[in-house]
Amino acid sequence: MNPSLSEYADATPATADGDAPPASASVPASQRDWTRRRAVWRALALSGLAALALIAFAFSLAVGSVVIPLDQALIIVSGGEPARATWADIVRDFRLPKALTAALAGSALAVSGAHMQTLFRNPLASPSTLGVNAGASLGVAIVALTSAYTSLGAPWLRAAADSLIALDIGRALAAGLGAAGVMVLLLAAARNMDTLTLLVLGVMVGYATNALVTLLIYFAVSEQMQAYVLWTFGSFSNVTWSQLPILASLVALGLLISLGLMKTLNALLLGETYARSMGVSVQRSRTLAIVCASLLAGSVTAFCGPVAFLGVATPHLCRGLLGTSDHRLILPASALMGAVLALAADVIAQMPGRAGVLPLNAVTAFIGAPVVIWVITRRRRAGGFAL
Amino acid sequence: MNRQPVSNLSSRAAARPALWLVALGAGAMIALSACAVRVAAPPAPPDTAAPPAAQATQAPAARAEEARPATTLRYAKAFTVEQRAGYTLLTVLKPWRGAKQTFRYALIPRGAPAPADADDALVIETPVERVVAVNTTHLPYLDRLEVTDRLVGVGDPKRINTPSVVARIEAGQIASVGRNTDLDVERVIDLQPDMVTTLGLGNPEKDNYPALLQAGLKPVLIADFMEDTPLGRAEWIKFMALFFHREAQAAALFDQIVERYERMAAITREVSQRPTVFMGFDDDGKWHMPGAKSYLARYVLDAGGDYLWADLDSNSRVPLSFEEVLDRAAQADVWLNQSQSWTSLAQVLQADERYNKFRAVQQGYVFNNNARLNPTGGNDYNESGHANPDVVLADLIAILHPELLPDHTLVYYHRLK
Repeated sequence: MNPSLSEYADATPATADGDAPPASASVPASQRDWTRRRAVWRALALSGLAALALIAFAFSLAVGSVVIPLDQALIIVSGGEPARATWADIVRDFRLPKALTAALAGSALAVSGAHMQTLFRNPLASPSTLGVNAGASLGVAIVALTSAYTSLGAPWLRAAADSLIALDIGRALAAGLGAAGVMVLLLAAARNMDTLTLLVLGVMVGYATNALVTLLIYFAVSEQMQAYVLWTFGSFSNVTWSQLPILASLVALGLLISLGLMKTLNALLLGETYARSMGVSVQRSRTLAIVCASLLAGSVTAFCGPVAFLGVATPHLCRGLLGTSDHRLILPASALMGAVLALAADVIAQMPGRAGVLPLNAVTAFIGAPVVIWVITRRRRAGGFAL
Repeated sequence: MNRQPVSNLSSRAAARPALWLVALGAGAMIALSACAVRVAAPPAPPDTAAPPAAQATQAPAARAEEARPATTLRYAKAFTVEQRAGYTLLTVLKPWRGAKQTFRYALIPRGAPAPADADDALVIETPVERVVAVNTTHLPYLDRLEVTDRLVGVGDPKRINTPSVVARIEAGQIASVGRNTDLDVERVIDLQPDMVTTLGLGNPEKDNYPALLQAGLKPVLIADFMEDTPLGRAEWIKFMALFFHREAQAAALFDQIVERYERMAAITREVSQRPTVFMGFDDDGKWHMPGAKSYLARYVLDAGGDYLWADLDSNSRVPLSFEEVLDRAAQADVWLNQSQSWTSLAQVLQADERYNKFRAVQQGYVFNNNARLNPTGGNDYNESGHANPDVVLADLIAILHPELLPDHTLVYYHRLK
């Protein structure tokens, strides 16, 4: 499994019909026209995605269980006074932070998923592959399930949970700590392991932490279990203005690191040996990719719960749309597409015009599962799981 | 359920032509009164209509056991009491929300033979000498009926507030058997109870009565939470009393509660200004608002409040979104019944700073029902609130119209500061 550069750089089904040239020098004149058309299409697709993201953002401000006309929503966002006073509060303090959270979370998960798929050279890798989500779940489970009133025996665990609560440490911080714990563990292991072993390790860490969570659930009383179960459904609406700067800066930091990693990731696509021969330090880039993906996925999970499927599905959608695996295109496209999908999923979850909210993860899985199935079937026809 | 005896009666009467007319009349009367019970709940439950039918069922109405008055129900709709030949038939009509089945209990005197015509009913010998109460809400009834000395096991001793029960737990006279799915059936068997009071939710994975039945025990489902009125809930003391032959005591206690409740509700009917009220809190994206036909809405109405969701056609809680609630309740006067874990305004705002958009929060009119917590956090409102609707109502009137009850100090409720 060590294909040539040309196969990998442009080997998506859309363009895999033999007309995919290597993006290198000395291209014949007949292909130059083709290359230009492709470049135009990619530019169009990227700007289309950006426009779509803006539309989805505006839509999610206007849509919710309280009916607010779009023009009123726009008046409110631009600082004007709406026809009804509570509408201003609803748009400014509920829908705006929620829409920003959805956009940030979608981008972060999609970019993090793209990293993981390249790093592990596995099309089904996702932010949760590293076990970061499981670590976050464990953190939340400890806080939510072992409060002062449980019948759970282990006194040290209860004492630890009590002191966390006494310190006013919320769910988000507990989840962040859990995710960071798993990341540190993986980084320590990554020093002397090959990528495949690392993948297995991440999955195993996930199983082990889930086992701990199951134990905690078993000993918890039902009211506490409810709080934990609700968290696992995922939600963008719990992030308020005071928490948003934290989430935004963590995601921004993660996206910045990933900007710097684009070329390294392209090299890694060709396999570690090839990357090494190109002068890439595999060890260092792997560490950076893990830090970046954990930062993105961990911070989103901490604030929004384990949001499923966006991380797996979005990079595939982007590769299909742009017809390339080049990270210089795929990462920005994933960020935009992730934001669009997250905003759309949230709008659907809100069930416009009706009371009540659907679990976000149910909606993302409805979008995500068909995409993954589509990818698998197309790849098989095209002859393998190329990225 | 009331229709079943009717069909039995008419089929038997048909077999005896001589009594045809008498039985037809009796049947019509029962049918009429059964309808009346369902529609208006007058003080005439089915058992008072039984004497005319005595010939057909050959039930001697005055089989004078003790001086035990017949139980009549005034508010409760989720169960019925029928005096039958040699036993009392208790029927739980609504064991849980959306239940498709009913539960019947045949209460026979100790040592008497099991009744032949009780078919699917669970036969229980009374008076009950040993009882296990799985849920805390059953304890206040036992306490009021002065039978806590017969209590041998409880679900979770740490959550209990009822003083007479706490004293017996501390004296080591009451065992812990676990609640919900944690119920330890072996330990219950070991206690040899005559009956086990529990509750059903209609969820085979969480309900413990099937396991208790399978072990040959006598689980009795207490469904006081299915009543849509505060007084209907409190009337379940009569249900409990039948197992201990304490009907007279239960009737007297309940009449006092009704008298106090109605007297207070009558005062608030006159008020000219009704403060607007909303309830509940945002639980990860779902704000569960009690429907207009729920007992909570009834409390607000009887306390002289204006419930903002009086158009919510439901007798349970309906999930709304935070923005919907804010849209309607931003200017509301009073906010009641939030999360059980909030005891201060700081905790409310820490959970979500956007609660400060409500005028009730800005002005500090936030009242929660967790004033009485035991050392391990068990809330007495959840335990004895059902049994004391007069006290809950007094609290709510003191919150909404302090001038009407100037001497009342809050019992279950407290103001979050």
